Amino acid sequence: MGHFRFWPAIPLVSALLGLAACSGSSKLAVENAQPPSGAPTSTEAAICATAPRDPGRVTVHRLNRAEYNNTVRDLLGDTTAPARDFPDDDSGYGFDNIADVLSIGPLLLEKYQSAAEQLINAAWDRDIANGTTVVRICDPNADSSCARQVLTRFALRAWRRPAESDEIDRYLALVSTASGQQDPPDAGVKLALQAMLVSPHFLYRVELDTNPDSPTAHPLNERELASRLSYFLWSSMPDDELTARASDGTLHDPAVLEQQVRRMLRDPKAAALRQNFAGEWLYTRAVDGIQPNSSLFPTFDSALRGAMRQETEMFFQSLLDENRSVLDLLGADYTFLNDRLADHYGLPSVGGSTLRRVVTTGTNRGGILTQASFLTVTSQPNRTSPVKRGKFVLGQLLCTEPPPPPPNVPPLPEGSGQGTLRQRLEAHRSNPACASCHSLMDPIGFGLENFDGIGKWRDRDTDGSLIDATGVLPDNKTFNGAKELAAALKTDPRLPGCVVSKVLTYALGRGPTAADACAIEDITRAFESRGNRLADLFVVIATSAPFVQRRGEPGATP
Amino acid sequence: MKKWQLSRRTVLRGAGAVLALPVLEQMWPSVARGQTPPRPRRFLAWYVPCGIYMQKFTPQEVGSQYVLTPILQPLAPHMSDYLVLTGLANRPAQPDGPGDHASGTGAFLTAAHPYKTQGADISNGISTDQVIANQIGQYTRFPSLQLGTRGGGSVGDCDSGYSCAYANNISWSGPSTPLPKEVNPQSLFDRLVGDVQQTEAQAAKRRLYQQSVLDIVRNDTNRLQAKLGRTDRRKMDEYLTSVREIERRVQSQTPACPVGSSPSAPVDIRDRTTLMLDLIVLAFQCDLTRVISFMLENAGSNYAFDFLGLSGGHHSYSHHGTDQANYDALQAIDTWEMQQLAYLLGRMKSVPEPGGSLLDNSVVLLSSEISDGDRHNHNNMPVIVAGRGGGAFAPGRHVRYDTELPLANLYVSIAAACGVDASGFGNSTGPLPGLTG
Repeated sequence: MGHFRFWPAIPLVSALLGLAACSGSSKLAVENAQPPSGAPTSTEAAICATAPRDPGRVTVHRLNRAEYNNTVRDLLGDTTAPARDFPDDDSGYGFDNIADVLSIGPLLLEKYQSAAEQLINAAWDRDIANGTTVVRICDPNADSSCARQVLTRFALRAWRRPAESDEIDRYLALVSTASGQQDPPDAGVKLALQAMLVSPHFLYRVELDTNPDSPTAHPLNERELASRLSYFLWSSMPDDELTARASDGTLHDPAVLEQQVRRMLRDPKAAALRQNFAGEWLYTRAVDGIQPNSSLFPTFDSALRGAMRQETEMFFQSLLDENRSVLDLLGADYTFLNDRLADHYGLPSVGGSTLRRVVTTGTNRGGILTQASFLTVTSQPNRTSPVKRGKFVLGQLLCTEPPPPPPNVPPLPEGSGQGTLRQRLEAHRSNPACASCHSLMDPIGFGLENFDGIGKWRDRDTDGSLIDATGVLPDNKTFNGAKELAAALKTDPRLPGCVVSKVLTYALGRGPTAADACAIEDITRAFESRGNRLADLFVVIATSAPFVQRRGEPGATP
Repeated sequence: MKKWQLSRRTVLRGAGAVLALPVLEQMWPSVARGQTPPRPRRFLAWYVPCGIYMQKFTPQEVGSQYVLTPILQPLAPHMSDYLVLTGLANRPAQPDGPGDHASGTGAFLTAAHPYKTQGADISNGISTDQVIANQIGQYTRFPSLQLGTRGGGSVGDCDSGYSCAYANNISWSGPSTPLPKEVNPQSLFDRLVGDVQQTEAQAAKRRLYQQSVLDIVRNDTNRLQAKLGRTDRRKMDEYLTSVREIERRVQSQTPACPVGSSPSAPVDIRDRTTLMLDLIVLAFQCDLTRVISFMLENAGSNYAFDFLGLSGGHHSYSHHGTDQANYDALQAIDTWEMQQLAYLLGRMKSVPEPGGSLLDNSVVLLSSEISDGDRHNHNNMPVIVAGRGGGAFAPGRHVRYDTELPLANLYVSIAAACGVDASGFGNSTGPLPGLTG
């Protein structure tokens, strides 16, 4: 990949890849602020105009816990979420669907085995009890040709491709194994079905290269593309409609692909995007683990915790459903509240415990930066953290997260008599080693200081001093408070490209590399030309080269 | 919380008669009564996050006549059963730039340098527990167990460009394969002894079926591998390795083991820790495994110990900045951790075995990913080694090493105590002196 080495020299690219150091990103923000649309520099445009595109390589992808649960739901109608009992998936690049990170060990394989047994037995019994044919399309004890039929049909769905006849033969051998133990044929069929759920063809999304050693890009086959799409948008297996488009060979047609994306986004299964993509991108998933100190925040309880999470989930869903500009993430004139959360925000009751859409014009709420989920997960258990809030904005929204502090930096003095949090942080920043990063993070966090450690509005800090929510951004924009801060961030040229980078990482299940620079550039231009609309972004990414193509790995021969 | 307990006496099946025997005589199911049983050695590696407040941990004096420091106070009843080792260094844990928590955790048992990556090209070393399990794991149903009190589940970057795989796992079966941990006591219990109730005929048929399933999926994997590129084949190797280990378990006999009732899956960290420690004792006592790693929370944990009267998070306090209030909080947290260790040691001492107690035949290591929470240093690591390792160690002392000897040397000595030759492990230069008194 030597011919791609010049990429990291491109400023916008290094920003999108999150490579920037603090000194660099400060300068970068100013540089990029000059062309307000975030248009590429002439150098970038020139390079990407002619450079070949590399779709990159996606490692064989084990289903993560969410994908396993959703897949068995759609495959077997089983809603018991058996993966709750699996070990947690480790994350990388901010998401837990990264193929390189998703490993397997004896513990997990053992869990797969025992889940498969329970899932198949339950599905079989449900079919008998309800007269349905989810798995048991015929009775193997009554008809000797039934076993093959059951297994052939099941493999088609469970493996997301048709099974070869000799593959079915090998699984059919389990029926003989069972009869050797005086068990009836259906016991053997169930054993074979269990084996199919423990097979790598089910547990992994397998994509094949004609030549695994060749770095030449080639289109995915239609089945593989259908799987990529359904795990991207649904965290689950393809449905009948998508499978049909793969079977008739039309899925690579961009118009068909777009039509499928739009259809799938309207499906309730697209809830996976707010739970898994947005849950990790916007930290909503972390709400379940927060521990605000109960004596400092006595109003915090599980009802509030749940409402916080739901507000952000529903807000993200509305951006997607209404195909709104992703800039609305920062400043929208509505949100979703129930009485508990409205009370927490000091807003009028909405009439019940169900969250509903509320117009927030004229209030101090609107946009992710004013939502309690974000404000709480980026706080310490006992106080706000302007640094963490600033770090979230830089890392999750602008893809320019600064590196963590070097060791041996004196930390923030805590406790009374040390001045306001702002004074203490400003003193901290007088150390030049700290200033380069904190001058980027802290002003953003200060702009949000009117929201306490659980996102409640306050005019005064805990020591009684008035909150000062003014600040200056690196590009010299000044602001006072969350609304003005959000308005300033909305115009930041790094925002659209950063959102592209996050969605692409999640879509592919791999981290962005320097070789993706021009693809990200292409997608970002298309995204911006469509008004930064969120649903459109999913279409643009699903039809992009890195998504519909793959390549092998040079030098792969052992 | 549903209570469960190991019964002191348990029922063995034999010749149609129901026979009650003391626990110690069924420790080694393969050995007939009357013969001299082999003495298994056990290794438990216990991780605590965010370093230790060394000033209140390190005894002033060396040798056996040291005065217990405040943090070691809970271990007072067990003073003759453990070693305090100070001055050891785990230099390979030093990250590239920042990231000491993830890097230190990844290197905790590997004494290798974790490669800085969010995901692609994860590379670490094999961990000490796995080196030992590769040799002695064959004697037990589970070659090793990985346990913890918290899964992954964090959002965002785990630590400064290091994948969460480094931050959440201390056991590594190979350079790119972390072994995730069981954090639910209920699931662990079911896994350990769930099939004890089966008849021998039922168990035999079940073994046959499981083996047949494993044969088929192994065949699938071998065929698939032939079509894959280098990295994908490596992923499939992880799968095949797991199949082989499970196969061995399927073929192992159902252990005769004292069965309590299934524990609950409590939310409170105190209950979860106690249950996990009880299950560690059960697993060793029944010889279900001889190698366990246990993570009390993950790298750089910011858990809020509100039951200790602390409003802030562990990681926040650990960046103490020499502030006394932070030091006090750290002392409270570290002391609580030692209380948990004291509980475990007490339990292990109460299990009689040939040659003394379960603890006497074991090595229990407790340490952290860094030394001081603020300095993030990887030298002068806080280390406790409890148990005699079957006579290999002479506990009851504080040993200070002044030459930054590698922590890996201790691992070589621990492996040797377990009968495993691990010379050359990590950055080791030989066995660690001073452990035998």
